[in-house]
Amino acid sequence: MLKGHLDAIVLAALEAGPAHGYAIIEAIKNRSTSTFDLPEGTVYPALHRLEQAGLLSSTWTTPPGGRRRRVYSLSKAGAAALADRRKVWGRFSRAVDTLLGGRAWPA
Amino acid sequence: MAGVIDQYVASLRRELDFDRALARRLASEVEDHLRDAAEADPAWPSADAEHRAAERFGVAREIAAQFASDAVDRQARRTWITLLVTAVVTFTAMRLRVTWLDDGAISALAPLVDRYAFIAAIAVGAIGWFAFRRSLLAFTICLGGLAASIAAGIVRADLFVHGAPLHVLLAAAGEIALVGLLSFHVIGLGRRLKRTALLRRAGR
Repeated sequence: MLKGHLDAIVLAALEAGPAHGYAIIEAIKNRSTSTFDLPEGTVYPALHRLEQAGLLSSTWTTPPGGRRRRVYSLSKAGAAALADRRKVWGRFSRAVDTLLGGRAWPA
Repeated sequence: MAGVIDQYVASLRRELDFDRALARRLASEVEDHLRDAAEADPAWPSADAEHRAAERFGVAREIAAQFASDAVDRQARRTWITLLVTAVVTFTAMRLRVTWLDDGAISALAPLVDRYAFIAAIAVGAIGWFAFRRSLLAFTICLGGLAASIAAGIVRADLFVHGAPLHVLLAAAGEIALVGLLSFHVIGLGRRLKRTALLRRAGR
């Protein structure tokens, strides 16, 4: 189930600012309080896919005294896609909550 | 002797051999990730810390399978765009040929082959588009579409043999070049489909 929402989760993780792959995985783990403990490598196909779709951009950066890293940031289109996916998810989760709670829908 | 991280990165590169540029780009990115993860391990520096980092990253073949599947989607999009452009250019060139050439410049059979091969190519291409969305059978159908396009090229060969004005030959050359580009994309799509199927089968 998580796989279908991975792209939106990655976009949300980059909303706070640019980050490299390892930091994105850590952010997902921390923000979900380790509920989403994915194999770390699964984030890279998602990052590549989102970049190809123009929702992310990436550049190599080298911090002083640090290792060279590819840093990803949300593009304008990515921010708009994230807003759309949030709306869709909001409607979907309310509907499922209502159905599982046994209430009539729309609540 | 190569460390655990080096071995893992090398195996990922091997699995991604269907796209060398991606393999190169990802190798350095994944290596950075694994070194960060290993350094964050309490047992660092040790081979155990590197092992755990590689384990948490996931099976190289499964990650490569996800990339391969995305690559198929991209390649399919490129193929269908090329097919669409080829269809439009072929149709335009066909109409222009009718306008530019005298009645006697090409055989009576040529316009018929031209027209029906074109219609066949469009029909097979359209079936291929729908089939692609359902199964791998699409590859065979794509090849059928390609064969139909080549059939349309027979008429172009006729133009070259019998000698036609330069602008007609240029339009025909454009069509042939597009069919060549289409074959290139169809072959690429076939290779990627095959690789994805192999990676998925092996990952089960």
